[in-house]
Amino acid sequence: MNAALQGQGIAVRFGATEVLHDVSVALPRGRWTSIVGPNGAGKSTLLKALAGLLPHAGSVQLLGRPLADWPARERARQLAWLGQNEHGADDLTAYDVAMLGRLPHQPWLSPPGADDHAAVERALRATQAWDWRARPLGQLSGGERQRVLLARALAVQAEVLLMDEPLANLDPPHQVDWLLLVRELVKNGKTVVSVLHELSLALQADELVVMAAGRVVHHGACGEAATHRALERVFDGRIHIQQVAGQWLSLPKL
Amino acid sequence: MNAMAAYHRKALLLGLALLLASAALLLLGASVGSTGFESVLRMGQDAMAWQIVSEIRLPRTVGAWLAGALLGLAGAVAQGLFRNPLADPYLLGSASGATLGVATAMALFGVSPLATHWLVRIGFTGAAFVGAVVAVLLTLLLAKGVQHTLRLLLAGVIVGVVLGAFSSLTLLLNPDILQAMQSFMLGSTAFVGWSAAGVMAAALALCLLAGWLLSPVLDGLALGEATATSLGLRLPQMRAALIAVLALATGTAVAQTGLIAFVGLAAPHLVRSVVKTTHGRLILLSSLLGAVLLTAADLLARWLVAPQELPVGVLTAVLGGSYLLWLMHRATAHEGGGR
Amino acid sequence: MKRLWFCLLLTLWLPAQALQITDERGVQVRLAAPPQRIVSLLPSLTETVCALDACHRLVGVDRYSNHPAQVRTLPQVGGGLDPNIEAIVALKPDLVLMSMSSRAAERLEALGLKVAALDTKTHADVRRVLEKVGTLLGVNDAQRVWRTIDAGVSAAAQSLSAKARNTRVYFEVSRGPYAAGETSFIGETLTRLGVKNVVPASLGPFPKLNPEYVVRANPDVIMIGNRSMQAMVPYPGWQSIKAVREQRICVFPNDDAETIVRPGPRMAEAARLMARCLEEKTGEKPR
Repeated sequence: MNAALQGQGIAVRFGATEVLHDVSVALPRGRWTSIVGPNGAGKSTLLKALAGLLPHAGSVQLLGRPLADWPARERARQLAWLGQNEHGADDLTAYDVAMLGRLPHQPWLSPPGADDHAAVERALRATQAWDWRARPLGQLSGGERQRVLLARALAVQAEVLLMDEPLANLDPPHQVDWLLLVRELVKNGKTVVSVLHELSLALQADELVVMAAGRVVHHGACGEAATHRALERVFDGRIHIQQVAGQWLSLPKL
Repeated sequence: MNAMAAYHRKALLLGLALLLASAALLLLGASVGSTGFESVLRMGQDAMAWQIVSEIRLPRTVGAWLAGALLGLAGAVAQGLFRNPLADPYLLGSASGATLGVATAMALFGVSPLATHWLVRIGFTGAAFVGAVVAVLLTLLLAKGVQHTLRLLLAGVIVGVVLGAFSSLTLLLNPDILQAMQSFMLGSTAFVGWSAAGVMAAALALCLLAGWLLSPVLDGLALGEATATSLGLRLPQMRAALIAVLALATGTAVAQTGLIAFVGLAAPHLVRSVVKTTHGRLILLSSLLGAVLLTAADLLARWLVAPQELPVGVLTAVLGGSYLLWLMHRATAHEGGGR
Repeated sequence: MKRLWFCLLLTLWLPAQALQITDERGVQVRLAAPPQRIVSLLPSLTETVCALDACHRLVGVDRYSNHPAQVRTLPQVGGGLDPNIEAIVALKPDLVLMSMSSRAAERLEALGLKVAALDTKTHADVRRVLEKVGTLLGVNDAQRVWRTIDAGVSAAAQSLSAKARNTRVYFEVSRGPYAAGETSFIGETLTRLGVKNVVPASLGPFPKLNPEYVVRANPDVIMIGNRSMQAMVPYPGWQSIKAVREQRICVFPNDDAETIVRPGPRMAEAARLMARCLEEKTGEKPR
C-alpha cells in the first residue's frame, strides 16, 4: 500500500488523561481522507500527532521515511498544516500571510522570488481572496480570514496537506469551492487529510477514518455500507446515512 | 501586487521620515540644556561652551537616540515573541533585576573594600546589566526553558515581583540611596558619555542584525506555534536566541539610562498604526521610532525646567501614553461607524 | 493666707504650664511630669534628646538612630515612616518623639500614648526643636546647648582662612545630580561658613540639576555627601571643571557624610568637617 502518512501505535496523554490509545492508521497517497467522529474522539489530536506537532508515543512515517528523520525544512515542504482557530497575525495583510506559506521554500531571509509570488497568487485566487489581498487580516470577516489561512496552507504546495476544521466560518458556496479545490489537488496526485465535523461534506471524501473515544473504529471507502454503519454507531444511532441524488448524506434520525 | 507596492512605499516613507526626524532632533539636542542656544553659537570661541556641547550634550542626545532604538527593538521582539500587544521589554523581569543590581551596588559601596573594588571596575551600569541578565536567566529557569509562552510570562511576573520586593527591602535599610535610586528608576541620560554611547551603539548593531535574521520566526509565530513548527522553523533554538536579543537590548538600555517606560510598548504599536508590515521591517522601524520618541522626550526633559531636569521616564509616559490614548479613541470611533 | 493659696496655686500651675508645647502638627502636647521613658523615631530627635543630657531616659529608638554610640544598644522599634506600633507600646513610653511625615502619630495617640511630631529642616528649626524638646523634658538647658552649637559653627567659620572663604562650592547630596541649594540645611551651613554656593536659592533646597549647569558654574570645590561613587565615576564632561581638574573634591566617608547631611544638634561638627576639608582643598597648590 502506498501510504503518504502512516502512524503506528500512537498514544497521547494530556496530563493524567490518555487521549489517544494505541492508534495505527495508514493514509493513502493521492487520495482524500476525512477523519470524523464525535466531540472528544481525539481527531485533532491524531492529526497533530501525524503532523509531528505533539509529543506522542509510537512512530509516524511520512512518504516512507520516519518523520523524525526528515530535516525540518524538507518536512515542511512536503507536509502542510492548517490548524483550528488560528489567531494572531491581525496586522499582516492577506498577501503577507499567504506568503508565509512559502517560508519552507525560501532561502533564509532572501526576498520572495518569482515562483513564490506565482504560488501565492495561485493560492489566493483559488480561495477567492485575491481581490482584497492588501487588507490586513484584522479587518476581514471570519470567512474571509479562513480563506486567507487556507491560501497560506495551499501556498506551501506540499505533497501532503493536513487540515483541521478547514470549513470553519465558511458559507455554503465557499464550502463547495473548497470541495472542488480538494478534488483538484487529489487529481494532481496530492494527499489531503481533513478533520471535518460536517458529515455530509466528509462523506464526499475518498476514504473515511471513523474515531471514537481515542481509537480508530473503522477505516474504509466512503461509499461502503460498513463505513456508514460504523458512522451511525459512533454517533449513537442518532444519524442515518442515506444516498440522495447520487451523494451520501447524513440525516438526523428523528 | 501593486496593492502591496503601496505598503512597501509607505514603510519606506516612514523610515525616511524617522531618519529625518532623528537628524533634526540631534541638532536640537546639541542646543538644548541649561544654557540654551548660546553654547552652540559660542562654540567656536569659548572652550567651555564647546566642551558642553561636544562632551555633554551630543553624547546625551546620541545616547538617548540609541537607548530609544534599543527599547523600540526590544518591544517589537517581545510583542512578536509573546504574540501579545501588551508586551514590553521588561516582561521577563529585567527591570526589577536591574533595579536590584543598582540598589545592591549603591548599598554595598564603601561598606566593604572587596565590594568597592569590584563596583568601581564594573560601575553602576555593569551592576544594572548583570542584574537584568540574572533576572532573565532566573525567569528561564523558573519556566524550565523557552517553550511555553504562558509559563514564561508567569515566571517573568514572579521574578519581577520578588526581585522588586528585595529592592524595596534594600532601599528601606539604606534610605540614603533613595534619591539616587529614584533618578535611576525614572530614567535619565545625565550619565551618558561617549563611551556609554559606544557601548549602546555596538549592542544596537548586534541586536538589529540578530533581530533581522530571526524575523521570519516572529512572522511564523504570528500564526501560532503549531503552524510555525509546521513551516519548518526550529522554535526552541530560535526562541532562545530571540530572548537573548531581548535581554541584551533591554539590559544595555536600562544599564545606561535607567528604567524608561512606554517606549518599548508604544513604538511597535505606533509603527503598526501607520503601516502593516512583516517583522523584518517592523523591527527596524520600531527601533527608529523608539529612538525618535526617546530623543524628543529627553529634549523636553532638559528644556522644560532648565537648569533643573525632569526625569525622562515621566515624559515618555506622557508622550507615548497620550498618543496611544488618541489612537484608541480613533479606533473605537471607527469601529462604531465601521462594520 | 491668700498668699499661701496663691503660692500653692502657682506651684500647681507652673509645672503644668512648663511641660506643654505645640508640636509641628499644631497639637498641644501636655505632660504632667518630666517623661522618664522616651521613644524617639527620628535620628535628629534622638541626638537632640542626648544633647540635652537626657540620653538615659531613652528606652527605644528607630533603626536609623546611631548617634551617640550608647543609643545603639537600645531596642530598635522600626523606622521613622514604618514604626513597629506593638514594640513601641510594649516599651510603655511616657513620650514618643517622631517626624511629622509619619502617619503613625494618630495610631499611637489612639492607643493612649503622648506623641510630639517635630521636624528639623533649617538651622532655625534646630534651635526651636531644642527648646521644645527641652520644655517637654523639663530641662532648662536648651538655650545653653544652642549657644554652644551656634558658637561651634561660628568658630568653624572663623577658622577658615581668607582663601578658603572665597571659594565657590558645589555640594552634591545624591547621584542624579541632586544638589544642596542655598535654602537647604547644608546650604545654610555653607552660608554661615562664608563660602558661596553655586546653586542659588531660586532653585529650591534640593534641585535635580542638569550636569551641564555645574560645568558652567565651574565651582572651586566639590563636596560629595553620599557614597555614590561620584569621585570615581564622574559625569561625562566634568573633567573641565576646575575642582575636578585640580582634585579639589571633598569625599566624606559614610559617618562624616551622615553627620553633615543630618539636620540636627551636630551641625557644629558638620560645619567643622566642612571647614576642615575646605581648608585642606584650598590650601594645596594646583597640580
